[in-house]
Amino acid sequence: MTRSSLLRDSLIAIAVFAVLALLPFIVPGKGFTDFMVRLAAFGIFATSLNLLVGYAGMESFGHGLFFGLGCYSFGLIMQTFPVSIPVAFLATVGLSIVVGTVVGAICVRLNEIYFAFVTLAFQMLLHSLIIAWTPITGGDQGLTGGIPRPPFLGIRLDDYYHLYLFSTGLLVASLLAMYHIVQSPFGYTLRMIRDNAARAPFLGINVFRVRLMAYVIAGAFGAIGGMIMSLFVSGAFPDFAYWTISGEAIFMIMLGGITVFLGPMVGAVMLLLLNDFVTKMTTHYGLVLGLVILLFALGLRKGLMDFAADLWRDRQTPTSGPRPDTAAKTAASAPARAGE
Amino acid sequence: MTKRAPNGVGRRSVLKGTAAVAAASTIGFPFVSKAQNKPIKVGMVTVLSGRVAILGSASQKGAQIEIDAFNAAGGLGGRPIELIVRDSKAKPEEAARIAREFINSEGCEILLDADTSAAAFAIQEIARETGILTIHTNSETSSLTADPKLHVPTAFRSARQGIHDAIAGGSYAAEVSKAKKLNRWMGCSPDYAYGRDSNKLFFEYLKRFHKDAEVIGESWPKLFQPDYTEQLTKILQSKPQAVYSCLWGGDLTAFIDQSSIYNLFAQTEVFAINIADYAVLTAIKNLPKGIHSGSRYLSTFPPTKENADWSAGYRKKFNEYPLNWSWENSAGTKFVLDALKKTNSTDSKKLAEAISGASISVPYGVDGKLTMRAGDNTLINYSTGWGQTIQKDPFVPDVKSVDWKMILDLETEWKKTMKYI
Repeated sequence: MTRSSLLRDSLIAIAVFAVLALLPFIVPGKGFTDFMVRLAAFGIFATSLNLLVGYAGMESFGHGLFFGLGCYSFGLIMQTFPVSIPVAFLATVGLSIVVGTVVGAICVRLNEIYFAFVTLAFQMLLHSLIIAWTPITGGDQGLTGGIPRPPFLGIRLDDYYHLYLFSTGLLVASLLAMYHIVQSPFGYTLRMIRDNAARAPFLGINVFRVRLMAYVIAGAFGAIGGMIMSLFVSGAFPDFAYWTISGEAIFMIMLGGITVFLGPMVGAVMLLLLNDFVTKMTTHYGLVLGLVILLFALGLRKGLMDFAADLWRDRQTPTSGPRPDTAAKTAASAPARAGE
Repeated sequence: MTKRAPNGVGRRSVLKGTAAVAAASTIGFPFVSKAQNKPIKVGMVTVLSGRVAILGSASQKGAQIEIDAFNAAGGLGGRPIELIVRDSKAKPEEAARIAREFINSEGCEILLDADTSAAAFAIQEIARETGILTIHTNSETSSLTADPKLHVPTAFRSARQGIHDAIAGGSYAAEVSKAKKLNRWMGCSPDYAYGRDSNKLFFEYLKRFHKDAEVIGESWPKLFQPDYTEQLTKILQSKPQAVYSCLWGGDLTAFIDQSSIYNLFAQTEVFAINIADYAVLTAIKNLPKGIHSGSRYLSTFPPTKENADWSAGYRKKFNEYPLNWSWENSAGTKFVLDALKKTNSTDSKKLAEAISGASISVPYGVDGKLTMRAGDNTLINYSTGWGQTIQKDPFVPDVKSVDWKMILDLETEWKKTMKYI
């Protein structure tokens, strides 16, 4: 990752944001802006989970900890203190970094199923805390009374379009930041640890520290997703910290794919559209979702973007008589892991 | 060569004109008529899947019965009401999304929130943000309308309220306790906000009316818990003279069925506020005699012909008993429909002004009327009372009404304690 590629990607991000800013004028109706705000929340959340699952090989079942933490801490700060939104935003990210460091220091020492279940345990601990600490969190009624949205820098988040710009701006900025993280030497170190954690220390890598940093970074972005959601519903609810929210993020990366950076975003689009359309048609949402997951798991055996990427790779490969060196390269690119 | 009519209009022009008129008469005129009869869309957010799907089913039917009657009578100047119902899956964020979708994509002009309490708080914020007329038809959590910080001028509650039920239950239980000398009490309520609040307030008012009452223990089963052995063992070991429970739905059915196995009802008086609703009464395998219950909905209470007729009409239309959620949604819908007629408008502010302080004539209100109290936008004067079960229909034959003046006085006192006023 060079300075010129950073500049190039930043320009692309600005262009994408400019297109997104114009879209509400082309696609009429507030339904679209609502969808995009939710997509921003879940897109950042799912992509941040894929930093762990796809790039670091850390299958977290408790990533909803940060989504819930982001929702509640942002909501509580805005309700309790007379601060501006950027201050509450930074404070929430800061809190998620602290919590991520403490929880991560315990979790990242573990591997595979043990790591998965300890992360889940911490998420359920937060959920129990939210339910039990009624005077502060509102218990199972959630954080009620709305979230104040004082204007800042000319942005009024009680306006649909402004909330849309704010959310999509955060989405683009977060994706750009995460993309650069996975393309950086740190990102490649994550892949190395994922592929062979035993070899990495021999190359001078402190595996614990790198895994902890990945956990903290993913947590901070997960909290940003939570903050956007709390603005969308103007509150925070225990569901946002329940294990099912982690399950939704896992579904998103399963549907979209883990080997392509934008796979989780595609998965988020698919799951949200599926939810919105199926809920309109039938009350058997769970059944339809189950069938779709089965189709992907048993039919494609991978996410949509993984499938598309493999198809593209196959088309790039000559069908007859590849040179030995080309064949070797193709074989090396075959494993379905992120960033290869 | 083109033949021209004396006024200079060509044959082709005449043909074009005729075709245009014909097209307008087949496409244009009905379009105008259709615009005039455009339905008024009402969006209902509720739960249609999972353990509490019956809530959504009864809520939808309760609203539909009023809407069908309104449409049959010609609607609002020819405009019928269209009810659109969506499943929130009991998730607040999904309820908020659907509410926004109703307003922004479906063109709904009125919202019926027939969801759980958590979703009601989420939808209250949508009402605040959009100013749309919203009726919370199922949430019984008192703070939704009692807490002035949550007040939204265009949002109302057409459901019963936790504080009203606690006062009614506490005063009735105190009377029974004094007569039967029931001093040792236990609580067994679901372990979440509603269960804890209901338990606390019930005992608060019981002790207020009956000073000798003492709570010797509490037991908190989880919501949707299938096995109550642990709670029943604890109750039997503690030997209370009376037990209070605000378990509801399938949980209550399971608790009663399992209590019968342990012969609990022969050893203690049970006060279960949520039994007197047909969904529970008909689901219990052998309904024990003598359980005390608050009246959720009974076709025999209030004991009037109008109430019996309403219940019979509902059963005929849907082939099932009306439930507590049925009347609450019926009432909420009727407030809206009366306001529509009164204002001849779908403007939320005008409708809210018409609903605030209004009374409607319904068979399940005290003296056939329900009132939407102005100020906190909540329902009062619904029929509420307590009675004891028998094994067959009418299940709770003699329901004793609770005085609404007492309820309102104590509610005011409670609001002061909570610093709501």
